[in-house]
Amino acid sequence: MTKTDVLHAVRLARLDLTLVGRNTTVLFNVMLMPLLLAALYSSFPTGDVAGVEGKVFVLTGVPGLMLAFAVFINLVNAFTSRREELVLKRLRGGQPSAVAVMAGSGLGALAVFLFQALLIGIWVNRFEDVLPVNVPLMVLAAVLGVAVFGLLAAAFSGMTPNAEMAQITVLPVLLVMMVAAPVAFPADALPGPLAVVSNLLPVTPIVEMMRTGFLGADHFGDGGEKLTMAGQWTAALPSIGILLVWVVIGALLARWLFRWEPRHG
Amino acid sequence: MIFPMRTRQLADATGTGTTGPEDVIEVGGLRQKYGDFEAVRGISFTVPRGEVFALLGTNGAGKTTTMEVLEGYAPATDGTVRVLGLDPIRQHRELRPRVGIMLQEGGFLGDLTVAETVDLWKGLSRDAGRPVTMSGSTELPGGFTLLGSRIRRVDRVTMGALELVGLEKKARVRVKQLSGGQKRRLDLALAVLAAPEVLFLDEPTTGMDPEARRTTWKVVEDLRDAGTTVLLTTHYLEEAERLADRLAIMHEGRIHTHGAVEEVVATSGDMIAFRLPGTSWTFGDLPVLDGVAPALTYASGGTEVGYTLSGSDAGTRAHAALRPLLAWADTRGETLERLAVRRGTLEDVFMRVVGEA
Ligand SMILES: Nc1ncnc2c1ncn2[C@@H]1O[C@H](COP(=O)(O)OP(=O)(O)OP(=O)(O)O)[C@@H](O)[C@H]1O
Ligand SMILES: [Mg+2]
Repeated sequence: MTKTDVLHAVRLARLDLTLVGRNTTVLFNVMLMPLLLAALYSSFPTGDVAGVEGKVFVLTGVPGLMLAFAVFINLVNAFTSRREELVLKRLRGGQPSAVAVMAGSGLGALAVFLFQALLIGIWVNRFEDVLPVNVPLMVLAAVLGVAVFGLLAAAFSGMTPNAEMAQITVLPVLLVMMVAAPVAFPADALPGPLAVVSNLLPVTPIVEMMRTGFLGADHFGDGGEKLTMAGQWTAALPSIGILLVWVVIGALLARWLFRWEPRHG
Repeated sequence: MIFPMRTRQLADATGTGTTGPEDVIEVGGLRQKYGDFEAVRGISFTVPRGEVFALLGTNGAGKTTTMEVLEGYAPATDGTVRVLGLDPIRQHRELRPRVGIMLQEGGFLGDLTVAETVDLWKGLSRDAGRPVTMSGSTELPGGFTLLGSRIRRVDRVTMGALELVGLEKKARVRVKQLSGGQKRRLDLALAVLAAPEVLFLDEPTTGMDPEARRTTWKVVEDLRDAGTTVLLTTHYLEEAERLADRLAIMHEGRIHTHGAVEEVVATSGDMIAFRLPGTSWTFGDLPVLDGVAPALTYASGGTEVGYTLSGSDAGTRAHAALRPLLAWADTRGETLERLAVRRGTLEDVFMRVVGEA
């Protein structure tokens, strides 16, 4: 990435944020839905989970699930409609590079997501009086999460013929995330094989890194023991590894499936 | 904008060393396939610096396809293309800032305003790294954006671009509320924004009203006079005649005629035309003039007859052909209604090329 790429990416990200504010459907999907989701999940009556109050357990992990809306659905929609309206074609014929266009959308989505995560953080702090312990770990989870789901969104938009169909093509990913993400319970509480699968999906490491970072305790299994700062980073290494693998998978899929122009015929 | 010198004089004065290759656009044996379908079937042409070249042709002839290869959207299936001496795909990064593109359609974000669209494009153009220094701000009334409700100011460069295409009153309007022709104007403003050396215009005036069309012509002429090389497609033949130095007529992937506009028009020769009452006339009834058989069309109770005399001596041939024609009319006791000899037009050439193909 050159300096110009960075500059273009920032301008395109700012554009994306402006456009989110201009369209009520997008505004609802991207800004409101994730927060409603968080409210819904946190209203399930649960006792303590892994040594944490149920509500806190849910809210510290739910940002991982919010990625589905703030990033994945948002970007599948944006990429698809912009391709069909030939906006991507125009951009490609213009000066910004492919990397800048992608990075711009990723950056915009990251900003939206971080804002939402911040709201959740404030919520947890106000009502449950818990302060995040390891913010850098949480931000790393957010960045890697946005990268994975941004690239997956690029790939999925390639398989989506038009903006209306986007509601359908995102469903499989959405369902898998809803079922497998360890938001309301630890991943290891899932029955055997499901737990293994859940641990390999990108959403699980994000949820667990977020929660561990917020609470300063080991939430990569079902333990919940307090960890030192160094301990948190060490415990997070496998999750970071899984996410990096997913970044590569996402990049390959995006390279293979993403399209700049509408398919003809 | 008044530019004192025509480009070719400019090039002559400065030599080609600093201004780059003389042929800004080079297409050699270009073939382009979509799957099994060959949309462009081996075409060649060059456009020298500062010239306007028009690609004419039937729908589906391959004009847009050719343009898009030159714009670097797709690699050529076969043949060579160069723009400013560069490969549009492999040297895209180098080439992009020097090229302005007006696509055949679309490519706008409907939720942005007209001014924001120009601003965005400006921000993504060559000078993006520099702050826009020439931008004293013009305050416009009533510009509230949803985010933060702050008054957005439209800077001078943006306003200038909009004035160029007569969209200054629409600066605050969302792009999705523009009419088709207004979108074309905006597209033109974007294409010329970064003062490109090469301009690709795919049907620039389709959907424009006559005034906007004239504005567009003026913009193109000014740019050409400043040394910009222009490749344009159009279905308006008078537009090609007015703007182009040279043109090519395409049909089904091939170039059938090309050359300087006057030369191409001259190939259509002269036309003798008249009308006979009744619709019972056939070829056999009419004389062959100077070896040319007539073309007949039947319309509202009469028969339109036309002879096309081509070649550089068409004028004298027409003169000579009138005598036997009038003699034929006298013997038959017929009156040749609305008898006329006229110069052939580009449209005649177009129809002949497409008809023969
Ligand atoms: N992406 C594509 N896939 C398959 N066929 C295509 C594609 N784009 C164009 N074609 C075909 O290639 C041929 C040339 O199309 P092109 O758009 O270049 O024509 P054109 O000369 O620009 O026509 P028009 O005057 O209507 O704009 C047409 O027959 C068209 O159907
Ligand atoms: Mg076309």
